[in-house]
Amino acid sequence: MISEPPFVRPPRVVEWVDLVVFGLLAALIYALVTVAREWSGPLQSVPIIHLEARYLPLYTLFSLSRGVCAYAVSFGFTMVYGYAMARVAGAERVMLPVLDILQSIPVLGFLPGFVLGLVHLFPHQNIGLEIASVLMIFTGQVWNMTFSFYSSLKAVPPDLVAVARLARMSWWERFVRLDISFASTGLLWNSMMSMAGGWFFLMVSEAFVLGEHDFRLPGLGSYMSLAIERSDGTAQLLGVVAMLGMILFVDQVVWRPLVAWSHKFTEQETNGGSGSWLWELIRSSRIWSAVSKSWIFFAEKGQPRATASMRRVAKPLLRSAASFHLGGRMLVGLTGLGILSGVIKYVQLLQGLTVEDWLDLLSGTGMTFLRVIMAVVLASLWTIPVGVLIGRHPRWSRILQPAIQMAASFPAPMIFPVVVGGMLAMGVGLGTSSVVLLLLGTQWYILFNVIAGSSAIPRELWEVSRLARFSWRNRWLNLILPAIFPSLLTGCITAMGGAWNASIVAEYMKYHGQTLMTMGLGATISQATERGNFHVLGAAVGVMAVTVVGFNRLVWRPLSHRAQTRFTLDS
Amino acid sequence: MGTPLLEIRNVSLSFPGAAGGMVEILHDISLEIKEHEVVAILGPSGCGKSTLLRAIIGLEQPTKGQIFYRGQPQIGLNPSTALVFQNFALFPWLTVQENVSVGLSCLGLDEAGRSERVEQVIAAVGLAGSEEAYPKELSGGMKQRVGLARALAVQPEILCMDEPFSALDVLTSETLRNEVIEIYTRKTSPVNSILMVTHSIDEGVFMATRLVVMGAHPGIIRAVLDNPLPYPRDEHHPDFIALIQKLHTLITQVEFPVERVPPAVPSVGLMPVQSIPIVSLSSAIGLLEILENEGDLELFELTNHVDLELSQLLLVVKAAELLRWVSTPGGRVEMTSAGRQFLSSDINTRKRQLNVLLRRLYVFDVIIRMLNQSPSKEVQEGVVSSQFALHFPHERPLRLLRTVVAWARYAELFQYSATRKVFYKLQQIPSPP
Repeated sequence: MISEPPFVRPPRVVEWVDLVVFGLLAALIYALVTVAREWSGPLQSVPIIHLEARYLPLYTLFSLSRGVCAYAVSFGFTMVYGYAMARVAGAERVMLPVLDILQSIPVLGFLPGFVLGLVHLFPHQNIGLEIASVLMIFTGQVWNMTFSFYSSLKAVPPDLVAVARLARMSWWERFVRLDISFASTGLLWNSMMSMAGGWFFLMVSEAFVLGEHDFRLPGLGSYMSLAIERSDGTAQLLGVVAMLGMILFVDQVVWRPLVAWSHKFTEQETNGGSGSWLWELIRSSRIWSAVSKSWIFFAEKGQPRATASMRRVAKPLLRSAASFHLGGRMLVGLTGLGILSGVIKYVQLLQGLTVEDWLDLLSGTGMTFLRVIMAVVLASLWTIPVGVLIGRHPRWSRILQPAIQMAASFPAPMIFPVVVGGMLAMGVGLGTSSVVLLLLGTQWYILFNVIAGSSAIPRELWEVSRLARFSWRNRWLNLILPAIFPSLLTGCITAMGGAWNASIVAEYMKYHGQTLMTMGLGATISQATERGNFHVLGAAVGVMAVTVVGFNRLVWRPLSHRAQTRFTLDS
Repeated sequence: MGTPLLEIRNVSLSFPGAAGGMVEILHDISLEIKEHEVVAILGPSGCGKSTLLRAIIGLEQPTKGQIFYRGQPQIGLNPSTALVFQNFALFPWLTVQENVSVGLSCLGLDEAGRSERVEQVIAAVGLAGSEEAYPKELSGGMKQRVGLARALAVQPEILCMDEPFSALDVLTSETLRNEVIEIYTRKTSPVNSILMVTHSIDEGVFMATRLVVMGAHPGIIRAVLDNPLPYPRDEHHPDFIALIQKLHTLITQVEFPVERVPPAVPSVGLMPVQSIPIVSLSSAIGLLEILENEGDLELFELTNHVDLELSQLLLVVKAAELLRWVSTPGGRVEMTSAGRQFLSSDINTRKRQLNVLLRRLYVFDVIIRMLNQSPSKEVQEGVVSSQFALHFPHERPLRLLRTVVAWARYAELFQYSATRKVFYKLQQIPSPP
């Protein structure tokens, strides 16, 4: 029998896949041009924001471009800071606490500095305000990425490092082929979280009042805040839809393909749970092979140039490290002087505060602290049973995970007015309903972690608890709670940090043309920003940072140490 | 013979230890690797054999002494060596082909030369057809073939292997051992000599032309033995078996020298500062059970009865000897009357006997004395581990500590709380017999 010749598809000049990809490229170029035009426009501190639906796509594009720019900055910062923290000898001891403090400073704490400085720098163009807005989104995104990159770098397997050394990889090759590749999975998941974190303060980042100035930038956030101020229900709904659309778009077009692509960086065989239609499409397109070829080129041939420039930067640094006694000490001394003068300036700023101001601050801190704790407790109360249930059934978690992910990425402040309106109608004031608002913003972190924790409980332990005829109470006390404790703790830590930050928008808001506020540290920060009262703002931001860092050090750290030693599932 | 390929001259190597000081891993090692030989370094785990290998390659820097390659002192990585790792150390995100070519970019080959080289080694180790696969798609044996191909790709004069087959199942490692020898004996092979680290005596005898036996704490060379058997070797050949037995005896003599004086009856105050072997008490009791069933045995005969590698077995025997359950005259393991008595007792009597026995050992005595002196009847773990680190600088204090805790718990000597990290006294001290 003669076998048929194997069917070979004749190569076509252009495949539809390529057309689609080219279409995307054209759209991207158009978007870039539009955004650039916006950025270089003349500075109008209060540009007209239109609430008509036809402006919404453009606004969404503007917001998205800000988020993307902020992400690019976050990525760059992560690479430099994370790498230095992990690899420069001795740097970790200073850089790690600094990062810890930076991440505890609320977004609004950065606002006045960024805005005033940058608007001053570009007095006639929008670009200063745009950069300030991007930087504020950046402060909502960056920290967990940096932490993730740092811990990945610390965990690179020593055997692989030995291989890299034996292969005499250059610094650049080692960075691309070993460090970044190894860190990529963690970096990717944290990037997804970061994007969501950046959107959380989108409304604040695009529309804010600072002293006498009302700064607004055209975008989805300012659209939403205007819609809320004017209590335009249709516009609010449209804004929410646009936001959801943007999140869905980014998820499908960016994250899904990246996750699918990143499977090659994981050591285990994955069960192909998260396929991506776009990734399949891209991978089968001709453009991809060109891109991947250029990547290899970049990794190998980009090396001499990068190494050379690296050497140019690193040599003096290394030399100064080697001759620490001379230049190094001077550098340290100068930095110390800078920090010292900063501290003095800060103390001077605080001296403008009266005793009453301090008392207000402290009682506000107490109130917000209570709200934050209540929000975390309430969130745990519903997420633990639901999370355990979902985690026990892999099918459910597969179905529900994307939906929860969407809900978690959606910036909760955008639906705050609806919630507050409902609560007000029931006769509940902002003081109580802000707890619900904090809950809305932070419950997802706990839910995610509980699901992860409960799905990691080995089946044998469930079986033992059934065979031993554990009572319902016994099962929770002796199996479920101890087993999920470490991940629950991680969730609570993240949630609590988020809740402190969210109090800024939950305790103070513009609603139906009036200002609603309740006593609390977040309200103090918001109000001080709006009034341009920098004494109070500086003090409040400082108090919040100290409280968050102190709570982390005194409560969470010992608890997580205990969790890792006693309640870990891998004995 | 000419100049040796490699000469290791009086090499010592220390790492910073947990207790702040330096822990000496290698002590005054001198060794020569000649041309055309396969040298296997044998030894118990923790004897520094992997560290020695890494020092030879240049991944670690000796604290003392020097390594010469063809008469030249070696600085940094030795370009004529390549390393095969125990756990493969493949880049999960690179294909087989890319993994193999990882070491080639520094050799100054052009594109064509590189891909030709890669193709050639991939074929040589039997990986043809898997070029585009990622490591996670491969079985353990195939993964190690990639590791081997990566090492061979740089055409090393000295191929170094760090327990290359111990992460593989029995059949796969058998196959790979044969293939490595086949590659070595091939005329076209650029590999001049092989230096391998292993803990398996059989593997060493099967592959090596010379066997180096190392001892632990700190790592020193105890003995060197030539293996003149011709390749390919047959594991059932009488000469092969005889050599394995010879090696067993050699290691036993090294560990249990005949002329050694038996431990004197320790009296209080003159207690020797002595550590305990890092093994579980139940394995020592298991040894007694075997001796009871099989009668007294030669040490190497024992290996047929237990599923332990020799170095591990030796530790168990030492533990039993320390408890005076067995004696080891001339490489024989004989049960003592104390051992027989212990074995025939019930669990509570056993505990009582052990309680008395362990009190005489330094590591337990020191903790009991600390407990007696402490007003709170508690002693912090850190205090004990720093005491251990002081007296046993070559042991890992935490591992020793864990063994001490396990033994003490069995004998109900004192208690230990893992959450509070303290030793504390039992409320009830079992009455001595």
